Amino acid sequence: MRFNRLSVTLLLAVSIPSVLPSAAASLGTVVPIGGTASDIVLDESRGYVYIADFGSNTIDFLSLSDLKIHTSLNVAAQPGSLAMSPDGSYLVVTHYNATAAGATAGNLVTIINLSDNTQQTLATGEPPLGVAFLNVPDARYPSGVAVIVTTANIWEMDPVSGKLTLLTSLANVSSSLPIQAPASPGQITEAAMAWNSAGDGLSIWGLAGATTGTSQVVFKIDGHSWPNAPSVYPISYTSSPALLPRVSVSADGSYAMVGYSLVNLNGIVGRYPNILASKNITGHTIDSAGGILYGQLPDSSQPTGPVAASSSATPLPNLLIMSSSSMAVQDRIVLPENLVGRALLNAAGTVMYAISESGVTVIPVGSLSQYHRLSASAEDVLLETNFCNRSTVTGTFTLSDPGGNHTDFSIFSPVAGVSVSPAAGTTPATITVTANPSAFATATGTSPVDLTIGSVSAVNAAKTVRVLVSNPDVEQRGTIVDVPGVLGDIVPDAARNRFYIAREDRDEVLVFDGSTNSQIATLPTLTTPMSLAITGDSQYLLVGHNDSQFVTMYDLNALQMVSAIVLPGGHYGRSLAVSNSAILVLARDEGTGLGAVDSLDLSTELGTMLSSLGAYLNKVSPQSALAAAPNGATVILADPGGTVMLYSAAANTFTAARQDFTALGGAIAASSYDQYVVGNYVFNSSLVPIGTLAESGGSSSGFLFTGQGGYFATSASSTSPGVIQEFTTSLTGGASPTAMVEAPLLPTATAATSGGTTTGTSSSSSSTSSTTTTSAAMTFTRTVAAMPADNTVVALTTSGFTVLASSYGASAATPTIASVVNAANNSTALAPGALITVYGTSMSPVNVATAQIPLPTALGQSCLSVNGTPVPLLFVSGTQVNAQLPYNVGGNASVAIHTPGGISNNYNFTVGVAAPSVFMNGTAGPLTGLPTIVRAANNQLVTPTNPVNYNDTLLIYTNGLGLTSPQVTAGSAAPSSPLANAVLQPTVTLGGANLSVSYAGLVPGQVGVYQINATVPFGVPQGLSVPLAINQAGASSSVNVRVVGN
Amino acid sequence: MKTFVLRVLVPAAFCAAAWGQQWEVGAVGGAGFLNTVPVSTPGASATAGFSAGAVGGVYFGQNLYSSLSGEIRYEFFDSNLKLSSGGASASFTGIAHALHYDLIWHTRRKNSPVQYYLAVGGGMKLFQGLGSPEAYQPLMQFGYFTRAHAIEPMGTVAGGMTYRLAPRMFLRLEVRDFISPFPTGVLTPAVAPASAKFGSILNNLTPMAGISYVF
Repeated sequence: MRFNRLSVTLLLAVSIPSVLPSAAASLGTVVPIGGTASDIVLDESRGYVYIADFGSNTIDFLSLSDLKIHTSLNVAAQPGSLAMSPDGSYLVVTHYNATAAGATAGNLVTIINLSDNTQQTLATGEPPLGVAFLNVPDARYPSGVAVIVTTANIWEMDPVSGKLTLLTSLANVSSSLPIQAPASPGQITEAAMAWNSAGDGLSIWGLAGATTGTSQVVFKIDGHSWPNAPSVYPISYTSSPALLPRVSVSADGSYAMVGYSLVNLNGIVGRYPNILASKNITGHTIDSAGGILYGQLPDSSQPTGPVAASSSATPLPNLLIMSSSSMAVQDRIVLPENLVGRALLNAAGTVMYAISESGVTVIPVGSLSQYHRLSASAEDVLLETNFCNRSTVTGTFTLSDPGGNHTDFSIFSPVAGVSVSPAAGTTPATITVTANPSAFATATGTSPVDLTIGSVSAVNAAKTVRVLVSNPDVEQRGTIVDVPGVLGDIVPDAARNRFYIAREDRDEVLVFDGSTNSQIATLPTLTTPMSLAITGDSQYLLVGHNDSQFVTMYDLNALQMVSAIVLPGGHYGRSLAVSNSAILVLARDEGTGLGAVDSLDLSTELGTMLSSLGAYLNKVSPQSALAAAPNGATVILADPGGTVMLYSAAANTFTAARQDFTALGGAIAASSYDQYVVGNYVFNSSLVPIGTLAESGGSSSGFLFTGQGGYFATSASSTSPGVIQEFTTSLTGGASPTAMVEAPLLPTATAATSGGTTTGTSSSSSSTSSTTTTSAAMTFTRTVAAMPADNTVVALTTSGFTVLASSYGASAATPTIASVVNAANNSTALAPGALITVYGTSMSPVNVATAQIPLPTALGQSCLSVNGTPVPLLFVSGTQVNAQLPYNVGGNASVAIHTPGGISNNYNFTVGVAAPSVFMNGTAGPLTGLPTIVRAANNQLVTPTNPVNYNDTLLIYTNGLGLTSPQVTAGSAAPSSPLANAVLQPTVTLGGANLSVSYAGLVPGQVGVYQINATVPFGVPQGLSVPLAINQAGASSSVNVRVVGN
Repeated sequence: MKTFVLRVLVPAAFCAAAWGQQWEVGAVGGAGFLNTVPVSTPGASATAGFSAGAVGGVYFGQNLYSSLSGEIRYEFFDSNLKLSSGGASASFTGIAHALHYDLIWHTRRKNSPVQYYLAVGGGMKLFQGLGSPEAYQPLMQFGYFTRAHAIEPMGTVAGGMTYRLAPRMFLRLEVRDFISPFPTGVLTPAVAPASAKFGSILNNLTPMAGISYVF
């Protein structure tokens, strides 16, 4: 019944955001031209943008100073493309007049001498599609060489003499005039070219035959061989949807953005994952110096056609600020109207000029800090309760304007059980999110709630913040580690005690330490990494991408990319498997819409499509997946249509195939003992189904073989508790289902979709987001990994991942507490608000730390109470727990820890009014164990090689300075204004000499950490080990430091 | 050190002035090459010392007798501190100053165009560490580079020749060794994780050339 109430609440919530304020402001100035812009050229030296008006047959001179058109030159009909010579002397205009009747008279090139605007017109015969320049280093061509692509040929032209020379032929297609209205110039000429004018000017990239869907040609013309004829590299490109004719070239000419794809001569580096078909919306430009790709690419967060002004529900156009290496979206700026043609960046990279629906839009991309924007400090806020603390839980994040402006905001929580404070205001602001567990009492999984952030003045579309409310029961197992984003695959690295997770939406592989379960590195990938595999020698990680033609390879010791293996044209690697004989890739083939198996050659960095899969055609569903046995002897291929196939490394071919089911999906795994799991079916070495694993009322998510047994994770939905089963020795025996704290990730595509769509929007929590989170749809999932060094199992789950002790099923031992000490120096001196370390046994099944602020009072499956009140926790493990004492304890106190194994003994200890103690540095290496004292002079730790000097100001980081004014709630970050001063003022001596103390209180933004600022007078004793003592209210402690007088 | 200055240098200077017959001023320049001293800690070893560097100096002298003269000298040394162990090394910007008085015995009469000589003297040497302190320093388990100064007593011996370029102008070529205790005030033996022990004597072998004027 309560579950039903929650469902209704969530249902209502989905309908509410449409009435919320969204980003109302936009960035950019629209300059209507009263015609149809087909191309633009930026001439900064003269202060103009030249606009080819396809309909009015003019070249408009848009002044950069006042953004008005003061001059228009009449030219021949249908000026389709423009290019200015490298020396700025000539403007070349092509005129497209391809008629159905084949008339060629109007196919012209106009050369405008920009010094006097005189024109020279040449006939090309063939309809010219585009023009660009090569800045050839040749005195005979002081203005460079124009390269003109027509429907049949590529021509060179000297703009001075007007002489045309055939470079090569280029078979192509294009539309004929007249054409049914409406149609943009790009839809008519179906071509675009651009050159690297910001670099050496010797590389031209282009696209011809656009929008035809099957005959597109991406080409590069390389003039570096001059005076020999430029090299032409045509690449046949098939894509769905078709590429619109937009080309932007990097400064070095090595890659280009063509349509919605980032290409180099080896292949497709990346395609925009969320692309939707649009007739003419696309415009982009590359800022090579900043590594940024600016552009509008239509997706579900934007219109795919003109914005209907009367409809408030219509999404607004967005300028995407993307990484120029992977197209990962970093921010979205709201535009006043859609970009529908070429975009250019000025030389300083500060202003973007783009063809838009009305003419040209000028966007000050280098001045974003002057405009209001919103940015949240966190993508997720994880709010956890547990069986010993069902009170309200809170978390915080900050909203700020990246430019430091004061920007209005409003935040809305669509679920009644989650509230935010303040719900509106001005940046910067700390937002407190509160969850009422009673509203989630029946939701024993994790409930994601998206906070919608709006602003009247912000020009960007602020990302939503995902609140994850976890409310597990006592019998649920596992510790949640929050990892924002869309996670696609997990692979363990037992040799290094790490595991790797593919984060699809950020184009990253996240590297986690297996002992602490904390992230230790990030590996940048290409677009949409969705499959991981480690090579047989355990030295390299391979990453397959749903939206890149490359499989990238990383050195696991250096954690750096070392090579990229290119797959056959149109192939995108979705699933990897490393066998003893071959490295196989299940790729989707964008040309056929099917899937195919490729083999990788790491030495040549090439992938080759297998001619057949043994006796079978190499044609499978693109949603198929591979899984290799740990011993590398076999690889299983599962097709959502129900077919399974087996590759044998010994035979180096596929040896078996069966179809005993009409649909398969979920887990896929292979063992070293000739057993395989697909979905919940178990297959033998002949792929004969020999058993079924109980799905416990849910759906298959992941299976991990451990010897002949394994772990099987299932869930009914993403908000349900997950279920995990351990099969100890074989898969035929029964296993006891155990509830997990939250659901393992489930497939995002339905089974039995053979040959169907290859991409889709995930059912992740961002469904109400203004920045839709989209992932590569998956029918088969790998969500479970084992870390044998720590006896833990890691499963990808709703919030990120969940860590379970491998013996999670065993009855938990009763915890015990052996001692409670000061976290700074392990002494028994404690004070209110002090950070403490509790030593004992069985205090947590796994190690987990939190960076969440306020600190949670439940971490993992443990909570600690002092005098019966749960206290904030920083870290839990079996033998050690770090926590903060409340500020209201004093005198005799008692502590106990609660775990699924029960409640520990009460441990009694004493809390004084002050217990000053300097934190000792935990950095590994020679600095271990040194007091955390920093010299303000160089902001470095005091060490024997960075000794204390006369007149130094020292920042001494301490614990246990007791009560503060103003008071701070335990677990919360200390304020910065006003500062939380220690009520009892400490004194500091160095070698017996008093230091002048200018501040003693909590460190702003930190929890429970105090700071003393003290100045060293001249004449203090020098030495290698001089005692620095802190005295406060009769309590004292000291550390030794080196002092030199300089 | 104070005793040395009072008992040796000051009387020598006064004596020179009292018996003065011919005065000489000059400047020298060259390069200094320093030995390293062994550094030992339990289970590991290293070397400590100074890099080779430029040397420049001035002197003022008086011919006391036909074959004996005395001079007071100042030298500046540009030589960085260094620690080395295995294939690793670390360095720290440093300079030094030397002030000393030498007695010089000439092999030939003072009016000879070519004279060979031997010199012996003593004084003090000021070492200065001038690098930027860092919390972490490579090889800090052996020693600590310190931005500080250290004054050490110093003895010096030299041999060389002078060649008359003009009636009052001489070219001087010499090789000199500056001998001092190792300056642990600027390169301090480590105390953690274990106490390091340093060798004690620092030799600074310095070939120099100079010009002097006699009046």
